[in-house]
Amino acid sequence: MKHLNRRHFLGAGLLLGASTLIGKELPAKPIAIPQEYVPPIIAFPEKKPMVAISDRPPLLKSAKGRELFTQPITPNDEFFVRWHLPDIPTFVDLSTFRLEVKGEVHTPLSLSVDDLKSKFEPTEITAVLQCGGNSRKYYKNVGPATHGVQWDHGAMGCAVWKGVRLKDLLEHAGVKESARWVGLNGLEKPAMEETPDFFREMAIAEALEDQILVAYSMNGEDLPYLNGFPLRLVIPGHFADSWVKMLTEITVLDRYQKSFFMDVAYTVPDNDCECVVSGSDFEYKRKPIASMKVKSVIGYPSSDTVIKKGSKVKVAGVAFDQGKGIKEVMISLDGGKSWSAAKLAAENGKYSFRMWTYEWDAKIKGDFSIMARAINRIGNIQPQVDEIGWNAGGYQYNAVDVVNVKIV
Amino acid sequence: MKKLFLTALILGATTLFAQVDKPVEMPYVDYPMVKGDHDEVAQQYCLICHSWGYILNQGKKSRPYWKGTVQKMVNEFKAPISKEDQQTITNYLVKHYGYETTSAH
Ligand code: HEC
Repeated sequence: MKHLNRRHFLGAGLLLGASTLIGKELPAKPIAIPQEYVPPIIAFPEKKPMVAISDRPPLLKSAKGRELFTQPITPNDEFFVRWHLPDIPTFVDLSTFRLEVKGEVHTPLSLSVDDLKSKFEPTEITAVLQCGGNSRKYYKNVGPATHGVQWDHGAMGCAVWKGVRLKDLLEHAGVKESARWVGLNGLEKPAMEETPDFFREMAIAEALEDQILVAYSMNGEDLPYLNGFPLRLVIPGHFADSWVKMLTEITVLDRYQKSFFMDVAYTVPDNDCECVVSGSDFEYKRKPIASMKVKSVIGYPSSDTVIKKGSKVKVAGVAFDQGKGIKEVMISLDGGKSWSAAKLAAENGKYSFRMWTYEWDAKIKGDFSIMARAINRIGNIQPQVDEIGWNAGGYQYNAVDVVNVKIV
Repeated sequence: MKKLFLTALILGATTLFAQVDKPVEMPYVDYPMVKGDHDEVAQQYCLICHSWGYILNQGKKSRPYWKGTVQKMVNEFKAPISKEDQQTITNYLVKHYGYETTSAH
């Protein structure tokens, strides 16, 4: 992978694509593209070279794969990127940038980033940011591949977010009696006016919870441009879809406003299992995804790690949930027949990655299936791979993680 | 088509980005599109709102999937594509990025 980096890092402007898989030499077989297209690895502003699933809008994941999840905090320059609409300003001028708080409030506010930093109490929280479609590609183990970007585990990360409580902003503006919902919008805009905006909503009671931030800092630095500079919403414990980037408008509403990205995209079946018979399409009553599900991901080893017989393998990874706290991570080395507890690192707040490790003596040559399964303090446990309920949008995948390795 | 987007990108860059002393430069990726079977129609419409990466990343899909996706672009996102061109694009996608089947997947 390394040799690609220089070729792709031209720093400025036009990069001609990495891949000429298609178009030039068609294979003799009637298969025009490989089963799985491998996107190029490209340098983006303030990022290490990343896997570029799309450049416009940018959809990027770390080129490190699982290895990214052997550390409690994900570095800014390796943090995944996921926008929805193509028209994203390439500059934000802080002297004119304003965050508006308006609608059903007594005193509408128009705040600069400096106002946020100087006039409100700063708050810090470490929290996992995970796309609702993270790990979606593994749904094909239980049914047809679902709609949407076929993410592996790469659409997640954990960062220290610093900013102002949303609640403090709303209280400063004075929420009216009539307030029911809070609408959120940012500078990301569609190419065509008629395309729905990336507009998100949350109930007023939720918006007033303590842990929700309007963040101006990520891991001690300004937010990277691609992660929403200069402001983004942080909703610990929730999937990423409402963590609006380049946040400019907070509108208090007296009623719910229907919108494509709330009511159609990022939804799951509105039933107890939030699932349907695999293969059935979108014909079901839906509800927006919200709280994250308990999950663990193996950071080391990965399926291409060479493990020598007689070596000591430190299996490692992360676990997290909706904010109840991880109680235990169980590891199996025999494909799920027997399980033993991994060692949990100290907790770093309720919403962050909980690191875990497991010492494994690689005694016998052969094929092994490493599995990780987390359970949280309220007894939510990751489903087995063949137990997870399927949904057509491929959201909130959280089955037991599996890595197949060979001891040689 | 490609030229047009680059121009748009450059025109969009007018104010100063606070963190760096010059505009952030977004790389451009030329995602490969299979030639033939009226790829020009797909080029004309399917790159207006997002890159071809969106299509490549879906993996191989059935005819009903591609037909439904093209319809979704038109109905939900208001892509201005005539019925005839929708059909052409669907055929192109099924042939090069999918497979024929009658069931939903
Ligand atoms: C008018 C704008 C527009 C046009 C034109 C357009 N799309 Fe899209 N497309 C979108 C939007 C918006 C999304 C959702 C973006 C997101 O969530 O990141 C999307 C998403 C997709 C996806 C991802 C899967 C899904 O269902 O969301 C695919 C595949 C796709 N488009 C294919 C196409 C194809 C093929 C064409 C050409 C026929 C096309 N698009 C033309 C706006 C458009």
